[in-house]
Order: sequence, then structure tokens, then C-alpha cells
Amino acid sequence: MIYLDSAATTFQKPVGVAAAMWDALASMSSPGRGGYAAAMRAADAAFQCRSELAELFHLPNPERVVFTMNATHGLNIAIKSLVPPGGRAVISGYEHNAVTRPLTALGAAVSVAESPMFQPEAALEAFWRLIAPGVDAVVCNHVSNVFGYVQPVEKIAALCRRAGVPLIVDASQSAGVLPLDMEALGAAFVAMPGHKGLYGPQGTGVLLCREGVPVKTVLEGGTGSASVQQEMPDFLPDRLEAGTHNMPGIAGLLAGVRYVRGRGLDKILDRERRLIRLAAQELEKIPGLRVYADPSGEHQTGVLSVSVEGQEAERLGTALSERGIAVRAGLHCAPLAHRSAGTLDTGTVRISVSDFNTPEEIIRLASAVRSGLERA
Amino acid sequence: MEHYIILARSVTYAQRMQKALGRTGIRCQIYRAPRNLTELGCAYAVRLEVNDLPPALAALHQASLDPVQIFLYQRGLYKEVES
Repeated sequence: MIYLDSAATTFQKPVGVAAAMWDALASMSSPGRGGYAAAMRAADAAFQCRSELAELFHLPNPERVVFTMNATHGLNIAIKSLVPPGGRAVISGYEHNAVTRPLTALGAAVSVAESPMFQPEAALEAFWRLIAPGVDAVVCNHVSNVFGYVQPVEKIAALCRRAGVPLIVDASQSAGVLPLDMEALGAAFVAMPGHKGLYGPQGTGVLLCREGVPVKTVLEGGTGSASVQQEMPDFLPDRLEAGTHNMPGIAGLLAGVRYVRGRGLDKILDRERRLIRLAAQELEKIPGLRVYADPSGEHQTGVLSVSVEGQEAERLGTALSERGIAVRAGLHCAPLAHRSAGTLDTGTVRISVSDFNTPEEIIRLASAVRSGLERA
Repeated sequence: MEHYIILARSVTYAQRMQKALGRTGIRCQIYRAPRNLTELGCAYAVRLEVNDLPPALAALHQASLDPVQIFLYQRGLYKEVES
């Protein structure tokens, strides 16, 4: 199989990840639940993971690194901490359902900062028009999960700081690929999965929380701390980590984060961008295919969407699957992004790479797309 | 054997204390705090040698990790001391 669906989950993991998970199963119990060796080994692994994530994302205090089940879980906590029922939010035109559904559930008044793809200046202007005192939160992804479009989050963060509006960044597609400085951004929350660019296992996620931002719980229960008290502890990470931790997941995530830090974000980004440019170059030669590539290459990461004129994306997705190529076709849980790009009716076929893909795989993809379209 | 214990609100906080102390060359152990020392229930503590308390408090203060409570363990009993 040629795996090109890393925007959903990176399937090929660094070798240390599975070994770390196995070691956790064999030697760790639960952090914060005892003073015996297995509990303390678990606590050490969890603390190491928090500390390395804090260093990677420039957070001074590892207690502000909260483990979640995935990015959606983190985004739910972040949104529900800041936006009250019926509150006001501003979002980009490229958000995932992980953002729009919680806002809908809250009955929030949502303003969409609409702008064309790969035009960060236009995005900035759209946000500038909408960000004003009284807005409860701005939510923006760093990179679109459908198009790989890099949004100007640093500049959006500056607008938010100026207006005194808290910012939530969805770093689902950028964590482990693009640098993100939590302190410099001044974002209230940054949510990310552990199982994509950080190369951890599925079922892991991280929420970075800025000091002084109040956090609401979406789950209550045991934390191994302040047990007599019936309210959740008022300190992190315990306040947001009720119940037993996913220790094999956290140990695997730690191994993934170490791989990313050892390899370097710049090298990973460079490799992914080269592969996506090659894919765009090859796919643009195929008649009837529309390729959504940033002409400059500067505002796109390792994600590329294509659509077939007058044809549902699923047909090409199925044709590629029959040829042993794993891509994701459809709406990618982001109908808003498709509406913004004008691809809501057909959806797109998304090609997304990781640090483990090769140029040869991209050439084989192009050949499979060509033959898949000829047979369709 | 006499020693001090510094209560932490959580295992993560105790680990931060241990790391901050380690940076200044003070070795300490993390363990579960005796239940009778805290009204809040489960907690963790770091255990220090008697002579290490003054430099440890300075290091923790510098790292903005001020202790919740400090106890001296002597002749089988814990006695709270001022930080």
C-alpha cells in the first residue's frame, strides 16, 4: 500500500513508537495513582512527554500541557471554556467540524472570516473586519485539513491581542511540521492531535493552555489529587484529566515527539513540501483534473486536494484504493472549507504526506490517477 | 531518620519541584504524602535531607514553585514547619 492519508492519521510511525507502547504496557500502571515503581514510571513518562511538548511549543510550564483523546476533545474544552451558550465567535472559512459543531451546540453566533485560499493578506483583512471587543473567541486552524493552506495565525494572533479577544488555534495539521510559539502567539489555547505530525498513536491529543485562562471541564472524575474535594481540582493538568490516562498512548506519543525534535521541523516541512510540489506538478499534467496548489508553495504544507470535473471525488478515491493507494475522498469533515473553495458539491480527493513518503510513491500515485480516470 | 517533606498539589507539581531541585544539585525523592498531612486527600510530596531545606526553598522560590506545606519528620512524627 502507498499511504497518502497522513492528514487523517500518520500510519507509518517511527520505530520507537510501538516499542515505547509495548514497554508502557509491560511496565507502567497509572500516573498519580500510587508511589510504587510502576505508577512512578508512568508518572515519569507522562511528565517527560509534557516537558518535551512544552519545549517544542515554547510553553514555560509543563503543567499547562494537557493530554486529551484527540484534537477534537481539546477543541471542545477550549471552545466551551471561552464561548458561553449563545456567545459570539469568529472563525476562518476553513474550519473543521471539530470547531463548527461545538459552536453550533452552544448556539453561538458565528461570523466567518471569508477569504480565498492561499491569500493570507486577504484572510487577515477578513479577520480584521470581524475581530472586535465583545467577541468571546476567535478560532482558526493553522493549516487547512483539506487544502494544506497555511493561515497567517501569527498575524491573526496579533489582531486578537490588540482587541483583547482570546484566540484558539487548531494545530491539527501543523503540529510537528510548522513552528508554533505559544508564548509569542499569546493564544488562549492550542489544540492538536498526537497521531498526525507528532507521530504518536491514535487516541492521543494535546491541549496547550495559557496561564490565567479559565478552563471548564467537559469530563469530571478521579484525578489522584485533592480526592476529598468533590469539585474538580482548580489546577492543571488535573482539572482536565479525569480518569485513567492512556499510558501506552502517551509513551508512544513521547517517542513520536522525540523523533520530530530529533529530525527537526524544518527538515520534515521541507520533505513534505517537495513531495506535494512534485504531486502538484505531475497531477496538473492530467486533463480533467483540477489541482488546488499554492503557486508560490509558501502557503501550503504536505496536503493537496484535487477534484475531477463533473465527478464525485469518491469515484477517484475508490479507483486509487483498488490500485493500492490510500487517499481520502469526500468532504473531510470540513464542509465549511469546501464551501469556501467551491468544492462542496463534488468534494475533493486529498493527498497528504508524512516524513516517510518518497518521490517514487508520488510518481506511482500520478500514474494511478491517470489510469483510474481513463477507466472511469 | 530525620527528613523534610514538601507537599505538592499533584504528582506533576512534585515532578516540577524535583526537576527544579535537580538543576541546583539537590536530590530528592517523590512519594505519596501520608494521608493525615493533608485535608484534601491524595497528594504527593518530595522528600529532602535535613540540610537541603534552605537551598531547596530558595531554588523552588526562584522557579515559582512555592510549597503547599512543609513537614519535619522526627522520631516517627510529622511536624509542620514554616516555609
